[in-house]
Amino acid sequence: MLGANEGDTMMKLRHALLSAVFAATLAPGAMAAPKTDLIVGMAAQDVGKLDPHLAVSTIDRTVVAWLFNGLVRFKPGSMSPADIEPDLAESWDASPDKKVWTFKLRHGVQFHGGYGEMTAEDVVYSLTKAGDAKRSASSGDFASFETIAALDPYTVRITLKQTVPSLLGIITNYGGGFIVSKKAVETLGDKFAAAPVGTGPFAFAANTPNQSLELVANKAYFRGVPKLEKISYRFLPSNASRDLAFQNGELDLEFGNQDQTWVDRMKKQRGAVVDVFEPGEEAILHLNQAQKPLDDLRVRQAIAHAINRPEILKFQGADVSRTPGSVIPIGNLGYIDAGLPQYDVAKAKALLAEAGYKDGLTLKVVHTQLPNMLAQMQVVQAQLKRAGITLDLQVVEHATFHQMIRQDLSAIVFYSAARFPVADVYLSQFYHSRSTVKTPTAVANFSHCSAADSEIDAARTEPDSARQIALWQTAQKKIVAQMCAVPLIETLQAWVHTDSLVYGYDLKGSLSLGPLITEQTHFK
Amino acid sequence: MIVYIARRLLAALPTLWAVLTLVFVLVRIVPGDPAIAILGDRATPAAVAALQAKLGLDRPIWAQYVDFMAQSAQGDFGTSMVTNRPILADVSAVIPHTIDLTIAAMLIGIIVGVPAGVWAALHRNRWIDVLARLVSLVGLSFPVFVSGIFLLLAFALHWRIFPVIGNANLSDPGDRLLKLVLPAATLGLVMAAYITRVTRSAMLGVLGEDYMRTARAKGVPWRRVVWRHGLRNAGMPVVTVVGLYVGILIGNSVLTEIVFNRPGLGKIIVGALNQRDYTMLQGLMVIYCFLIVVVNLITDLTYGFIDPRVKQA
Repeated sequence: MLGANEGDTMMKLRHALLSAVFAATLAPGAMAAPKTDLIVGMAAQDVGKLDPHLAVSTIDRTVVAWLFNGLVRFKPGSMSPADIEPDLAESWDASPDKKVWTFKLRHGVQFHGGYGEMTAEDVVYSLTKAGDAKRSASSGDFASFETIAALDPYTVRITLKQTVPSLLGIITNYGGGFIVSKKAVETLGDKFAAAPVGTGPFAFAANTPNQSLELVANKAYFRGVPKLEKISYRFLPSNASRDLAFQNGELDLEFGNQDQTWVDRMKKQRGAVVDVFEPGEEAILHLNQAQKPLDDLRVRQAIAHAINRPEILKFQGADVSRTPGSVIPIGNLGYIDAGLPQYDVAKAKALLAEAGYKDGLTLKVVHTQLPNMLAQMQVVQAQLKRAGITLDLQVVEHATFHQMIRQDLSAIVFYSAARFPVADVYLSQFYHSRSTVKTPTAVANFSHCSAADSEIDAARTEPDSARQIALWQTAQKKIVAQMCAVPLIETLQAWVHTDSLVYGYDLKGSLSLGPLITEQTHFK
Repeated sequence: MIVYIARRLLAALPTLWAVLTLVFVLVRIVPGDPAIAILGDRATPAAVAALQAKLGLDRPIWAQYVDFMAQSAQGDFGTSMVTNRPILADVSAVIPHTIDLTIAAMLIGIIVGVPAGVWAALHRNRWIDVLARLVSLVGLSFPVFVSGIFLLLAFALHWRIFPVIGNANLSDPGDRLLKLVLPAATLGLVMAAYITRVTRSAMLGVLGEDYMRTARAKGVPWRRVVWRHGLRNAGMPVVTVVGLYVGILIGNSVLTEIVFNRPGLGKIIVGALNQRDYTMLQGLMVIYCFLIVVVNLITDLTYGFIDPRVKQA
């Protein structure tokens, strides 16, 4: 039992403690400081290659954009070629024929990890590496480069064999345009892809396999010290449990599902902001003209008339998708509404009958088991069935699908892709005969299309931009007339972030397929 | 005992060789080109060919096989084709998580399943037995990705006791335990359901045996008769099932790891398969195989412990 004095002392002590706690709670300095560590949930088992020239998956592309810079960049939040602005290059000029480009570099830009100042030597090394098929997945983009030379430590000159539709697009903060440290690549060798060294606002800190990639702020970043101190990029492959983790406040930013149900569900969560942004990945049916009966234009037209795009849009959801108007995505430089065939089952049946398939026909199609692509293809299957066209779907694992379609084994190839938003890229890769699968220069021409080779080639070297755009538009109309491909839907990127996270720009588009985390990104 | 273990290990060598050969063949007959998987859909054929050469995929198949066997014999599994990281380093980083989960699930399975099975057998066809059979049937019928999500909804979102992201800090025992509870319960309850049924069936087999009646007649208390004479004799099929199930458990942990966002062997193997990472797949298969051989060895040794006649044989 306590004495009276002891009791008083205890009471005073308790009051003092309570007062201190109360004061500390109310004191301005003790107000919860904004978070400085960002936790991102990504649908991935692990990262693959963080060498930016080899980073091809969404998982890798999203994060390398936080680590590296290009000579130029898309203004954060945009992926419009009109918004390209200086990045590591301060300024540039081009010769009148646009074959010689000279870039002046920023002074004092430092590579992460003490690898020194970025100079013209690093730029020459990076772009040469990006054009080398042995060291880059984007080498095809650099085919027109003749020389890349350092005129002095801060001046680089690129000489082209022929003009290209968008030189700045090739050297932007995307694919082969990222600038790496020559010293780091040579020192680290193959390890560079696991522990990359760039100039971006965030630097590689650690990678715990199958768990997370940790980044730290690059305090020497040339645009200023990043407001965030750390980023933890967590690999969470299960969509359901990643959503639960976000809901539970364990994630600040999350890769989402490109479907309406997910968007509606996340929008209902308190404090959640859903981001839907460009690029739209255009899903297209490529009709293989090298296989019978698709060598008959009437059969291809019948397929086109059997497709009900508004129905596919309703299935996928209006918030995350839109109806395409051409064989290249909406918003690409050179895009035109090419007048796609309208849904008309009676016409489809009549065309089939005219082609000698009055009782319908069956097509063997290889398709991936990826859930979203499979679901969309099943909608297509049901639509074609109404016109008497049966799709005999051979559903295989995704890597197998990629191999089989490149071996020309499918009558129809359902392919969904987004590319650099200049018409030339999509047209060249998907519809030029040079890109036909199973040829030495193959890319992704699964339809064996050659309807617009001359326009695509002419546009590449056309110096007048109005005429160039006109050529691309003619090419699209010709491809549609020949029915090389039937566009289905464009699906936008979907992420969700907590409302306390501020990107520091207006997110309309991102070529890295994820929100750009910049030096301005912070928590409220 | 040492001779017994040595004999068992020697007997495992041909199994390991056969499995290694099978693994080598299997990963290569699965369609899908690792070079395309790594380089993506914008890669030119020249880039694909260059990567194939770099990865050694253009070499004769027998040369690849000889290299693989020689490296495996030295315990060197090389580096991942995709990440260039040493395979052993990646595996060592996650294997404690897999072992934690396997052991915890096994313990839950035994602690819950064996008494429940004995209890059900002792009350054959009464409501306790019916309940045990029903609960175990439900446990077996629920896939882990459903029961796991239910547990997360209840204990992570509603009551907020456990986190959703289960990548534990291995150097912090409290964190390790906290993040183990839900996944171990998910897998352990399935195992418990299985063990309950096997134990019940084995116990029913021995309850009517003469030695049980004799022990009773000699005045041995019923509880002792059941646990010492009954369960020990019913133990062989239970141990067999546990041994077999541990192997399945290691393999099946993949879904649990994905649902609970835990690192582990299963998660790595799915990633390697998607990427056609041959070297990683081979390394993982060898490690899996080794683990199964070890589990079988422990099972064999346990037989000897339960029934000395096995050791003498």
